[in-house]
Amino acid sequence: MATMSTVGRGFAAAVAVAIAGFLVVPMLIVSAPVEPVMGVVQKIFYFHVPCAIMMFLSTFVAAAGSLSYLFKGAERGDRLAHAAGELGVLFGACVLVSGPLWGRKAWGVWWQWDARLTSSLLLFLILNGYLLARRYGGPAGKKLAAALALFAAVDVPLVYKSVDIWRTVHPQTTVVPSLDPAMRPAFWASFALITLVWGILLTLRLRLEDARATVEELQLMTDDLAEDHP
Amino acid sequence: MRYRFARVVPVLAALAMLLGSTAAFAQEYVKVDNVPREQLPAPQFVGAAYGFIWVAILVYVIVVARRLAKTRGDIDELRRRVDSATGTKR
Repeated sequence: MATMSTVGRGFAAAVAVAIAGFLVVPMLIVSAPVEPVMGVVQKIFYFHVPCAIMMFLSTFVAAAGSLSYLFKGAERGDRLAHAAGELGVLFGACVLVSGPLWGRKAWGVWWQWDARLTSSLLLFLILNGYLLARRYGGPAGKKLAAALALFAAVDVPLVYKSVDIWRTVHPQTTVVPSLDPAMRPAFWASFALITLVWGILLTLRLRLEDARATVEELQLMTDDLAEDHP
Repeated sequence: MRYRFARVVPVLAALAMLLGSTAAFAQEYVKVDNVPREQLPAPQFVGAAYGFIWVAILVYVIVVARRLAKTRGDIDELRRRVDSATGTKR
């Protein structure tokens, strides 16, 4: 009971910090210097990159949960994978909307079929396939989806390194390490905020999965009781 | 009547040629000076990107919270049924 109370307090504190972050981070972004080539539109970077990292992180967590489900039969791992897979789709959508908005202004086009953009879209589609397989895959849907999560995890390094391997219009992986010192506070504050939001969403979504598992158990109990005492 | 028609036809033919050549010109790249460069308003793009991200997260939180509330309601209902069934058994 005390543990539940501590967890509840920790969750409430995280939500409070996230709300404070929503007020502070936009101010840091506005006060960050304007990039000389792209101008103001470069400020999309401060949210676009953390969202992309959260998409990658969600995919890795979904793959780890799926591995434990496939090889150890861990239902909790499957529930974690489901929660993370959904977050992967959410943050993937954020990346695939904010990116073209940035590209339209910076490159003059909404979309380019280059390696980074195409592999990111592929990752987003695999994660959607994961959720669809779970929902409509029938009795084998969970295992099929778990296999898809592993494929999605294999795509992540490809997405990340694509800008170094192939010639693309997308900025390279050296952008964040070589960021101007005046831009770093805005980027890392935004990164911390998005990571915190990701953690809150994962906790919330995992609670839903746990509650659904409880419903299934109770449903089985009531069915058994109804059979024993018709 | 035939005389009028004979006068109109060359005029129409000349007009068609002129329009045709204009259309042909439109297919080519022609250098034009002093045309203002297309300017897209950057703050609107930044605002749209941020707006989408935060609205998507907010909508997701609302959807998950509603699903969680419904599932917890189902748990309470099922627990009541189990309790009443085991109470009958006793």
